[in-house]
Amino acid sequence: MTRRSLRPLAVGAAVAAPVFVGVGYAAGASIGMWGVGAGDALDPRRFVRVLASPVTLESTLWTLRVAFISTLLSAVVAAALAIALRRADRVGRWGRALAVLPLPIPHLVAAVAALLILGQSGLLARVAFALGAISGPAEMPPLVFDRGGVGMTIALLWKEIPFLFLVAASVLATRGEALEEAARRLGASEWDVLRRVTWPTLWRGLLPASVAVFTFVVGSWEVAVLLAPSDPLALPLLTWERYIDSDLSRRPDAFVLALLGVSIAAVAVVAHELATRRPADTRGTAR
Amino acid sequence: MRRRVLLVGLAIWSLTPLALLAVVSVAGGWRFPTLLGDDPGLAAWRSLGGGALGHATSTSLALGIGTGVGAAAVGLLAGRALARERGGPRTLGLIFAFLPVATPPLLLGIGLQFTFLRLGLGGTAAGVWLAHLVPAIGYTTLYFVAVFTSWDFGIERAARQLGATRRQTLVRVIAPLLRRPLAEAALLGFLVSWAQVPLTLLVGQGRVRSLTIEVLSLVQAGQDGLAAAGALVLLLPPLLLIALATWGVREAEVVVA
Amino acid sequence: MLVAAGLAGAGCAPGTGDTALTADALRELPWDSIVEHARDTELVWRMWRGDPAINAWIDGWVTPRLQESFGIRLRVVEGQGPELVNQLVVEREAGAAGGADLLWINGETFRNLRDEGLLQGPWADVLPSARWVDSTSAIVMRDFEEPLDGFESPWGRVQFALIYDESRTPDPPRSVAELGEWIRENPGRFTHDQSFTGMTFLKGLMYAVGGGVERFTGGFREADYHAGRDSLFAWLDAHRDAFWRGGEAYPAGVAELHRLFANGEVDFSMSNNQNEAITKARQGVLPPSARPLLLEEGTIANAHYLGIPFNARNPAGAMVVADFLLTPEAQLEKLRPEVWGDGTVLDLARLPEEIRRRFEALEGDPRALAADSLERYARIEVDAEYHERLAADWRAEIRRVGR
Repeated sequence: MTRRSLRPLAVGAAVAAPVFVGVGYAAGASIGMWGVGAGDALDPRRFVRVLASPVTLESTLWTLRVAFISTLLSAVVAAALAIALRRADRVGRWGRALAVLPLPIPHLVAAVAALLILGQSGLLARVAFALGAISGPAEMPPLVFDRGGVGMTIALLWKEIPFLFLVAASVLATRGEALEEAARRLGASEWDVLRRVTWPTLWRGLLPASVAVFTFVVGSWEVAVLLAPSDPLALPLLTWERYIDSDLSRRPDAFVLALLGVSIAAVAVVAHELATRRPADTRGTAR
Repeated sequence: MRRRVLLVGLAIWSLTPLALLAVVSVAGGWRFPTLLGDDPGLAAWRSLGGGALGHATSTSLALGIGTGVGAAAVGLLAGRALARERGGPRTLGLIFAFLPVATPPLLLGIGLQFTFLRLGLGGTAAGVWLAHLVPAIGYTTLYFVAVFTSWDFGIERAARQLGATRRQTLVRVIAPLLRRPLAEAALLGFLVSWAQVPLTLLVGQGRVRSLTIEVLSLVQAGQDGLAAAGALVLLLPPLLLIALATWGVREAEVVVA
Repeated sequence: MLVAAGLAGAGCAPGTGDTALTADALRELPWDSIVEHARDTELVWRMWRGDPAINAWIDGWVTPRLQESFGIRLRVVEGQGPELVNQLVVEREAGAAGGADLLWINGETFRNLRDEGLLQGPWADVLPSARWVDSTSAIVMRDFEEPLDGFESPWGRVQFALIYDESRTPDPPRSVAELGEWIRENPGRFTHDQSFTGMTFLKGLMYAVGGGVERFTGGFREADYHAGRDSLFAWLDAHRDAFWRGGEAYPAGVAELHRLFANGEVDFSMSNNQNEAITKARQGVLPPSARPLLLEEGTIANAHYLGIPFNARNPAGAMVVADFLLTPEAQLEKLRPEVWGDGTVLDLARLPEEIRRRFEALEGDPRALAADSLERYARIEVDAEYHERLAADWRAEIRRVGR
């Protein structure tokens, strides 16, 4: 290998250098090599204790579940919207603008708005009250700080649908049209085109972006802080709680959890790479 | 007809949160079951000028611009280097470049807090700026990889073959083509910094108060009116910048047409 | 340019007083010399900034006076409780220069900071204003039963009170038993928060159902804690399903509880400060008919303090500011209901006649609780270990019950 072709590796490593430093520090701190709460001896068993604890397991599963559901729903809705808003007419243009509107808005804003809308005494409740559907906040089903993470999921949907919509629209515009034309010329009905060409193309095109969304949701702190329940705790909240725990001997637990979070992210990055590498096996038939 | 219903539905879905924030910010008190507020007034907005919210806004603006500029510059160089080659090292390099994007900012903060403090950057705006650059450079690098993947390096080669010096090629050929990507990358870096919460908290140590942190504090303290006003300020620059960018695109399209 | 200006503005390094002298060294010097050390310096004060009224007072009354009288530039940054401990611990680990010179603390935070050796001291006893402090009061002179030892200077004093709405609950319960009955008769209308205030409520409840505060004074005892906790949890078990959301979810902090109360989701809120109902009603956060309520069995009174972190860059400035905040003028201003309504730690009997009269003239708000009731129902804070253990056990209990 010549020096020149190692350059991308070096550049990538340079961009990721802070992550390596952080992971290195966290690794050492988690077993007590350095850092606050480090005893005199190394304690690698802490990993087992923390990762196997029911609190950690519950947290992780809850977080993964919320991330999975919100990502799946976002992808489905985004794909449907992309198909519905394809045409260049006025509805299409306004629709696309509205669909993409939340994209640049910070997640924190979405969480604040969700709190005000979905709380038991929030906007939805007040509208229901005005319509006579409920007689007080207590009758409103709890959508925030709830076990199901419904409010959090909705806030995430609001933010993630625009992003996936953009990707879906771009996939349709670049890859989709040629294939669809070809399928139509071969005599396929509109429904067939949709089912056997459009949908699979969209799905494959959305996969890498969905992995990215999934990863973001798993690690999102600000949305969880405002909307997630206190039991089970979302993984970022659990990590934070351990990090500022006044019992300093528990602090290394935070680093174990941090490494867990980074591992999930790393797995996602690899999954993302694999997803982008999938051979586009429909390409051959377009000829 | 169905599409119009969809349009209305989308309008309600996308715009209600923004409208509500506007209402709550001027509502005075917003207790159940009032819809428009008990005591409308501009008190929350008046406090924006001076005071914590105003100071936090300028801090966030400075950080955002700094991050946008820094990340665009570094991302350009990194993205270009990553896009030119093929093969194993490039794939691994790309995966590396992805890491600062995929790693949750909270964990970046937890892992790096000690290092930043050790370097004397804890609690300083410079430190927070550098911290914001970590994920931002990741984003802009990936962005430029995409840009340079569909880049026609042939143009540069042609210019050189026609006798242009490196400098001339850079200034006359490459730079004009890069103007838009650079602007978009700077916008991307700005947004990453502008919306950041846990990283600012951990590296800023409570001394660097970005607008997001201020709004979070206000919500947690039950100050809904002020929080809503702050949230509105939080969403305005991104919306404006995106609107400008799209308008710019349409202008360009018109010219081309 | 904008970037540089913004960065410079947001992160300029504090001007230092004499960095070589720590607070306990400064203690040996005459007070005037300390004031001179502090002149024209910047002071970074880490305190809780969640209440705009308190912020307004600090920013609008305290800051200009400090500048005028001492040339001290006050810079306030947010920080409280466990985050404070965390920040100091990490700063020490990294050998970083001190981020703050003065801290607003009490209770378990004080204990944790002292245990870790994160506070400078002793220094508080040489403050000129210390002579007016009510040194006979167990509530002021011991922070959760821990002696101050001059490591923190008293600042304010509050007492826990429930908050109810006169228009919704014209005849509120007056004792723990009545409260329990009320909760059963009005399911879903009562809860407490998960933070300091909620835990204080539970502690007060533990004193009441566990045999009185005397069972728990004099240091932490495992056996007494277990007995108290079990009685408390038995009471909670008997009433939990009538709590808001069936006792399965609790608001994160007292601000969220206030929001629930203001929106009519629950009929009671609570606060560590007995005047909060009135000051918050003024701010529009709580309804105007909100009133404070004490229970017969008593409520917990405690004080809050100011401390100097081990790595403070400007301990002289910190001492001067702490003394300023202890002066009768500042204490009086803080007590006014339009400002904060935070009780004074001064012994009124020791004050000069004229200012004592001004204090007494303030006791006039009809909605506030009478001072003698407060006295009669005040219970001290016991060892911080009780608080920490109770908080941890309560969380575990909630998790267990949630299965």
